[in-house]
Amino acid sequence: MSTALVQDRVRARSTAGAPLRIAGTGNWLDAGRPVRGAATLSLASDDAIVEYVPGDLTLTARAGASLAGISRATGAEGQWLALDPFGASTGTLGATVATGSAGPLAHTFGTPRDTVLGLEVVTGAGEIVRAGGRVVKNVAGFDLTRLFTGAWGTLAVITEVTVRLRARPERDETIALALPSDDDIDAWLAKLLILPFSPLALEMVNGPLARALDAGDRPLLLARLGGNDDSVRAQRQLIGALGDTAPVPTSIWRALAEIEPSGAAVARVSAPPSRLRALWSRLAGDDGALVHATVGRGIVRTIRPSSGAAAVATWFERIERCEGTHIFERLPADSWSAVPSRVNDPLSRAVRDAFDPARILNRGILGELA
Amino acid sequence: MALHTGTPSPASGPPPKHAHGRRGALIDTEKLAALLAAIVGERGVLARPSELATYSSDGLPGYRLRPRLAVFPRTKQQLIDVVRLLARERCPFVARGAGTGLSAGALASGEAVVVGLNRLNRILSIDPVNRLAVVEPGAVNVTLTRAAGAHGLHYAPDPSSQTACTIGGNVAENSGGPHCLKYGVTLNHVVALEVILASGEIVTLGNADGEVDGYDLLGAFIGSEGCFGIALEVTVKLTPNPQGVRTLLADFMSIDAGARATSAIIAAGILPAALEMMDGPTIRAVEASIYAAGYPADADAVLLIELDGLDAGLDADVRLVEQHCRAAGARTVRIAANEEERARLWQGRKKAFGAMGRIAPDLVVQDAVIPRTKLPDVLREIAVIAARWQIQVCNVFHAGDGNLHPNIGYDSRNEDESKRVGFAMRDIMRACIDAGGTITGEHGIGLDKLEYMPQIFSPESLAAQCALRDAFDPERRANPGKVVPVHSCREWRGA
Repeated sequence: MSTALVQDRVRARSTAGAPLRIAGTGNWLDAGRPVRGAATLSLASDDAIVEYVPGDLTLTARAGASLAGISRATGAEGQWLALDPFGASTGTLGATVATGSAGPLAHTFGTPRDTVLGLEVVTGAGEIVRAGGRVVKNVAGFDLTRLFTGAWGTLAVITEVTVRLRARPERDETIALALPSDDDIDAWLAKLLILPFSPLALEMVNGPLARALDAGDRPLLLARLGGNDDSVRAQRQLIGALGDTAPVPTSIWRALAEIEPSGAAVARVSAPPSRLRALWSRLAGDDGALVHATVGRGIVRTIRPSSGAAAVATWFERIERCEGTHIFERLPADSWSAVPSRVNDPLSRAVRDAFDPARILNRGILGELA
Repeated sequence: MALHTGTPSPASGPPPKHAHGRRGALIDTEKLAALLAAIVGERGVLARPSELATYSSDGLPGYRLRPRLAVFPRTKQQLIDVVRLLARERCPFVARGAGTGLSAGALASGEAVVVGLNRLNRILSIDPVNRLAVVEPGAVNVTLTRAAGAHGLHYAPDPSSQTACTIGGNVAENSGGPHCLKYGVTLNHVVALEVILASGEIVTLGNADGEVDGYDLLGAFIGSEGCFGIALEVTVKLTPNPQGVRTLLADFMSIDAGARATSAIIAAGILPAALEMMDGPTIRAVEASIYAAGYPADADAVLLIELDGLDAGLDADVRLVEQHCRAAGARTVRIAANEEERARLWQGRKKAFGAMGRIAPDLVVQDAVIPRTKLPDVLREIAVIAARWQIQVCNVFHAGDGNLHPNIGYDSRNEDESKRVGFAMRDIMRACIDAGGTITGEHGIGLDKLEYMPQIFSPESLAAQCALRDAFDPERRANPGKVVPVHSCREWRGA
């Protein structure tokens, strides 16, 4: 759908004060709070790669471009978009940016806010706005790019995205280590965090998740190592000092991204890395949940397959007792009322009103006041 | 001027009765100075023209604007009280750090008061385990890196002015520096801000847990050039010092060759910590100065390339970089043998502006970004522009991310030359925009680049930026008149 058509749709709805649900391929339709009474505007068919200059390591694509398609195009040039959000690879770039979604690679490459260089959007007021640009460094004007990234489509409909790409490392391999016992994990984590290198990704998985990934049934650390031959060999040795390692196919990362069953409740709790052990022991011991942690970022993510209201309630309480920032990705509809909205402060409300005065875009998804 | 004493504390006294209107009568300057002095002490308020001269310009020549007053809080509470007083009096203000900015962004005129933050310069805490530090806005960039050094850590953004510039100023400008090629800019290193809005309300943006739920108001604030409020406390990430560092200098007989080498290195998948280029005029200015770094004085371009990370693997990358440089036509490739040589190579780069400053009374340090692949074309175009306006341009810049710094030395007392410099700057900006670039990569818009904003943003996009500012500061009292041309800020709500 062209930007002009999106603008027409948004303007018509805005004038009528009628809510509009923005969708890509639908990965996120059951994420966030239920959206209230809305017609759907799908951007999935607008999937062209608009410009790709390998020498600049930048790519501009329409919002509906799939991550898999971008991966194919950039892979042919030895490059990649270093974002691996959870969900199917058919997911769109627009949705990834709108939801601010990231996966294990964020350990090294950050989240969409660190990767997006520019956006074209249609605001809730129906204005076509360009933010940022197509160059890798840019401080011209106020940073609307960051504002729209991760706003869950409540300020504007993202129609086009320019991202920074990375060269793929010469070697990219993954090893697994068994996690030590709970008593030893503090000292072990401390050593892990001061290794003199940064793996591409460093993710702990609990027993049930290891099993679901077909990687044994003990809690594991997955380390994704990148660099040239010499570097990766040295990284393997350094990390080998923390326990016995075994090679794991790189495909385990795709399997992890797609592990959550439909209907699952999913949440993340984050805290500075020194509190990771406390978070991990509280959340990973939940045998009914698939749990993993991005070590360097101090984020524990827990996936509770659908198993009845009582089980979800226990899971929910366990999370609520954790100190840290709680972000709920997916919950049964009736659980949302217990989660405070993060956009009801006066400043966030003023921002919403500035861009979507009739509050038509994805109305209710962030728990905003009507 | 004589300051009144015995004025009731504005924090406790009743609000002064004035005819408040957006453009209504403002409190008279003498009275305002007295109220400010009651908060920060008489020595914390400057009012005499001679005292205010220092605060009438920044690092960019060509602009002089005298603020009404300058006030220097020494504590967070004083800063809060000052901002709340200015809110009650509807007085516009301009936050200022070290005044090293290069876009005339920290200048105040008319009714505006400068709020100087350089006395709020403490490092409040360093958490080596979580690699976080909390600092006051006036903390000098390099003092944080020095303090973190005891833990094997550093603060990654390293603008050339890092020995003077403040973290608060870096937040306002979203500052970069040579090592941002690999490590990212200020945006990527600030995790939380405590901010006082122009209204006097205090808000916390982001958090030290690392993940933010809700709108990325932290990201929106960083780079807002003092128009969204004043940071009270800044929480930043610290970065582990790399195990190994290799610094190379490659020299070329043409800028084209240096640009080709740059593209080849990046395309090969190597991400240097820094990749800097200096052209012939810059090399000769440096070599003729006390900062002489041993650059080959007859070269037309040098690349200063730094690789860092795990020791293992670095030498293989060094060999690869060397091959690419030679393939692009490098005459020599030198690898710094020790820390002393490395420091010397870097000194030439970091002090290049100072070296150029010796040649001419005034120096304009320009800033623009272009797609890396356009470097040869745009650098050729800049040479043509320099010849057209008969001026000398020295290029010293962050080649790895296409961030140009064409610098022009001139004499501002020479009216004709000043005019030609102005025309050349305009043409250079045009060339960068036409190449698909942007008008600033790290110096900001300030006052200096306002005129170019409509060339890269549509009226709707500019109005959207104004709308964001208005959410933070509806009265537009924080750094008024900067970043977005005032006429772009029409009412835009409603389709």
